Amino acid sequence: MTAFFEYVARNVVRRLGSFVGLALAPCRSAGKRCRIGLPRRGASAGPTKLVESASVTWAEAPRYVVGLALALLVVSSARAAKIGDLESLDFGEQFARFFTLQDEIVRLALLGSVFLGVSCGLLGSFIVVRKLSLFGDTLSHAVLPGVAIGYLVSGYKDPVAIFVGATLAGLLGTVLVQLIKKTTHIKEDSSLGMVLAGFYGLGVVLMNRIQAMPTGTQSGLDKFLFGQVAALSSVEVWMMGGVALASILLVTVFYRQFLLGSFDVGFARGLGLPTGLFHYLLMLLLAFTVVVSLQAVGAVLVSAMLVIPAASAYLLTDRMHRMLIIASVFGVLSGSLGAFLSFFGNSLPTGPLMVLASSFVFCLCFFLSPRHGLFSRWRKRKTRDHRILNENTLKAIYHVREERGFVGEGVGLSQLAERMGETAEEAKRRVRELVSAGLCDIQESGAKSEALLNPDGWLRACAVIRNHRLWELYLTNQAAYEPDHVHDDAEVIEHVLGEDTVRRLERLLDYPSQDPHGKLIPSLADLQRSLVKTPSPEPPSGYRMPGS
Amino acid sequence: MEFWKQLIPPFDFQQVFVEPWTEYLDSFLWIFAMGFLVTAACGFLGTFIVWRRMALVGDAISHSVLPGIVIAFLVSQSRDTLPMFLGALGAGVLTTVLIELIHQKSRIKTDAALGIVFTTLFAFGVVLVSLYGENVDLDVDCVLYGELEHVIFETPVAFLGLFEAPNSVLRMGAVTLAVMVLVAVFYRPLLLSSFDPGLARSMGVSPAVIHHALMALLAVVVVSAFEAVGAVLVIAMLIFPATTASLLSDRLPVILGLTLLIALLSAFLGLHLALWLDASTAASISVVIFGMFLAAWASRCVTRVAREGFRR
Amino acid sequence: MSNFPLEAHDLTVAYDRRPVIYGVDVQVPEGKLIGILGPNGAGKSTLIKAVMGIVPKSGGWVKVFGKPFERNAARVGYVPQRESVDWDFPVNVMDVVLMGRYGKLGLTGRLSSSDRDAAADALEKVGMLPFAKRQISNLSGGQQQRVFLARALAQESDLYLMDEPFVGVDAATEAAIIELLRELKSRGKTILAVHHDLPTAQTYFDMLLLLNMRLVAFGPTEEVFTQELLQKTYGGRLTILAEVADQRVQRK
Repeated sequence: MTAFFEYVARNVVRRLGSFVGLALAPCRSAGKRCRIGLPRRGASAGPTKLVESASVTWAEAPRYVVGLALALLVVSSARAAKIGDLESLDFGEQFARFFTLQDEIVRLALLGSVFLGVSCGLLGSFIVVRKLSLFGDTLSHAVLPGVAIGYLVSGYKDPVAIFVGATLAGLLGTVLVQLIKKTTHIKEDSSLGMVLAGFYGLGVVLMNRIQAMPTGTQSGLDKFLFGQVAALSSVEVWMMGGVALASILLVTVFYRQFLLGSFDVGFARGLGLPTGLFHYLLMLLLAFTVVVSLQAVGAVLVSAMLVIPAASAYLLTDRMHRMLIIASVFGVLSGSLGAFLSFFGNSLPTGPLMVLASSFVFCLCFFLSPRHGLFSRWRKRKTRDHRILNENTLKAIYHVREERGFVGEGVGLSQLAERMGETAEEAKRRVRELVSAGLCDIQESGAKSEALLNPDGWLRACAVIRNHRLWELYLTNQAAYEPDHVHDDAEVIEHVLGEDTVRRLERLLDYPSQDPHGKLIPSLADLQRSLVKTPSPEPPSGYRMPGS
Repeated sequence: MEFWKQLIPPFDFQQVFVEPWTEYLDSFLWIFAMGFLVTAACGFLGTFIVWRRMALVGDAISHSVLPGIVIAFLVSQSRDTLPMFLGALGAGVLTTVLIELIHQKSRIKTDAALGIVFTTLFAFGVVLVSLYGENVDLDVDCVLYGELEHVIFETPVAFLGLFEAPNSVLRMGAVTLAVMVLVAVFYRPLLLSSFDPGLARSMGVSPAVIHHALMALLAVVVVSAFEAVGAVLVIAMLIFPATTASLLSDRLPVILGLTLLIALLSAFLGLHLALWLDASTAASISVVIFGMFLAAWASRCVTRVAREGFRR
Repeated sequence: MSNFPLEAHDLTVAYDRRPVIYGVDVQVPEGKLIGILGPNGAGKSTLIKAVMGIVPKSGGWVKVFGKPFERNAARVGYVPQRESVDWDFPVNVMDVVLMGRYGKLGLTGRLSSSDRDAAADALEKVGMLPFAKRQISNLSGGQQQRVFLARALAQESDLYLMDEPFVGVDAATEAAIIELLRELKSRGKTILAVHHDLPTAQTYFDMLLLLNMRLVAFGPTEEVFTQELLQKTYGGRLTILAEVADQRVQRK
């Protein structure tokens, strides 16, 4: 008998696993296919690859998680524990209970969190990119009277009745927002707020009435406000599973329609796609997701589970299909973490804990995301500032040498300080920076110390000067600027001109050798020729004369 | 059938409408005063909030003051007004700062940033309440729909030797008065900066200053209303009077006057609804204003259709 | 019955009961490059959107190649205004251009390699192939417009409707776009573009459609680009009109 069950379970798991894998496959192959044959710059490859490889492995993750959870549920559902058994346990036992998955409650709760995370991640991604976050908030509050009415009609906490009631209430709220927007001058944010508050108030009054009724105290409806994952029944979990499955299926099958409808509705209609239909399909899925998540997260905070994992994923990737996958993974992670924490503190509501877990994930992404994170932005800016500072020092050294007609190699630090308008200490510090960047040497001769650019440093200095003067020339010749107005602009642009632009500028200006102030422009061709070790009539200084 | 009878209790006019004003006048008066003051202050300020499209910012702040209040309770170990105000104000400022930070330092749009920040802070507050609920004398119910009727349990304090009133009613009265006076004094800059920020700036009124002042005032109102109506329902008091009034008139002074009238009416009807149904007072007031909005909306639609039919 | 690429009769669109375009009658011949001109709020964009059913018509009818738009949607390419989309959306250039192929795929079809080739060709034509993997927010205004154009090219349509394709683009892109449009025209395609720069209008387009709520004039550029008609369109508000028309007369 047991063997039979195990066989069935294994088969189910394999089927489901391959199915989920199938569902995710197009996303992956789409990503791969694009990668072929398109040149990519070496510089930007690093962080992108990191995300790509990560998302591919993540894409596999849900398949295993779902499979594992299902297997455990089917195989060992015989050994179940009652609700309430979980109360009054110490930390270690609680821990063990959670991770050995012996209890049906734990299994149900975990499975529920997984389903919740998947559907919230998928729908939430669309909510975030469509800028409907606050709409999600309204919807989650608006379902409350429906929950109460569902309870009243069925007479007990019937998941199906509550599902139907809540969905209807949510859709009614949605329609009301649209109607208010269409028929009055009231702005959308106010109409969202009104539906949120009005429906929520109505829901609270109805729930107060239910609790005042003789059977009401055991109604368990208060769990719908902040959620209690331990109170999930198996029917509710299967409903969550159904919604998660439907979300995965529909989003995979109609991915293109959802994508285009979210990105550019006008164009989608121009293609003749039934955009209205897909919009309402998405809204319906969203309503289903909110409704089945109520018991686990609570009406007040469902919107957070929609928005936060999706926003975290939005910080990590630039492609919609990856965002969907990453958001689901984050949803599953924070959902399970919230459920886990809620088991520790016996009476703690689950919703807030799940939200805090996902906020934690968001914080990590916000600071550490390789491309859009605060930290990497800060580091990028820091290195850029550093480079600009170094280039300015190089420029100053060039200027000093230029003033004396490129005679002699070393540049005295006191002269340099004078040229830069800084103190001697500051000049020395800046030169040390150059030394550490491998562009320059310091030669101490007695009390006087001199900065000696090495060939790399010299090339860089010439390149910066060339950028500056080329740009000045471009502005005066092509954009008809006055020669005395171009310096400040060139000061900025000299650090960012790329080689291609420089080539184009040179071609455009017919390979000039003098800037508008009559000074020499070291040409790109010269600079590059000097990189190749060709014997040239160099002056004995060891440096090439620029432009010679 | 029995079930529905239990749901909607029999309506007893004597019990619902007469007795509160006769036998229980002493305590009922203060509940009524509190209900009116909260709705009036929120509605009055809400006119500008709605107009400036900050309605959901108001919702966000009303949620996110919760951790500030709880932490203030835990630190000061008292229900004094000042620490509570400071805590909530701090949380309110933190909310706006975080929203701005997320919006500016990443590519996340304002709406999502709002949705992230206030839910996180609120969740944090709820966890704190669940953990330390007994210590701070706050429970999750209070957070969700307020306990307006609890004003009668407060020991009345004398006001200028004239009469005695519960502390929170006096405080709410002061806040309401302050809101009205401030709006009256700064009416013109407020109007200007809401309507045309560019013009306001050219005339020496800084829209940023007005904006932050309005947010601070909003935080103060939300905090003082917090115990009475909770975190979620404040938004009903903020938005409904303003939008309902704007359906009835299109002149700002009239709208401001109408919000007060709507506040009075909704507090009155809401209290009696709560008495009749034995439900949360704040939620009942919300339901009543919601109903009033729907009525105003319907009447407007009907008159519009009628006018057009006539024209044809 | 002749099948004009675009034929509208008594086309009327109203927002909130206020008419935006009113009673437009037009028959667009094949293989022409047509500019739609008119002052702000004249309903230029609305006309295009009404043709494609993006905004509901309040009256009249539109036919595309002799059939209602819905039945011939695949033969119409569209370039919306650049501001109509969120450029922070998590898609890259290739994704956007591939959207042009969605119309041919049916409800659940998959993108094939020929779709990708078509998209790559379209990108090549607008000189954006090296940017195919770039996220769309890292593009300049001119590049964004080129991407939209490439998307329309990938549709491989016979009639192109373009909403302000020259707004906010650099001079080089503008020249490249007009070059591309002429090439399309030489292959027998019909192009309608909303335009708002009068001096360039007369050199860019074969035909002009002057619109100010009503159709003021529609015909070959030489016949339509007259001071009288432009005055009628713009209501004499533009003083440079007179100058432009004078220049024209002088050049003749």
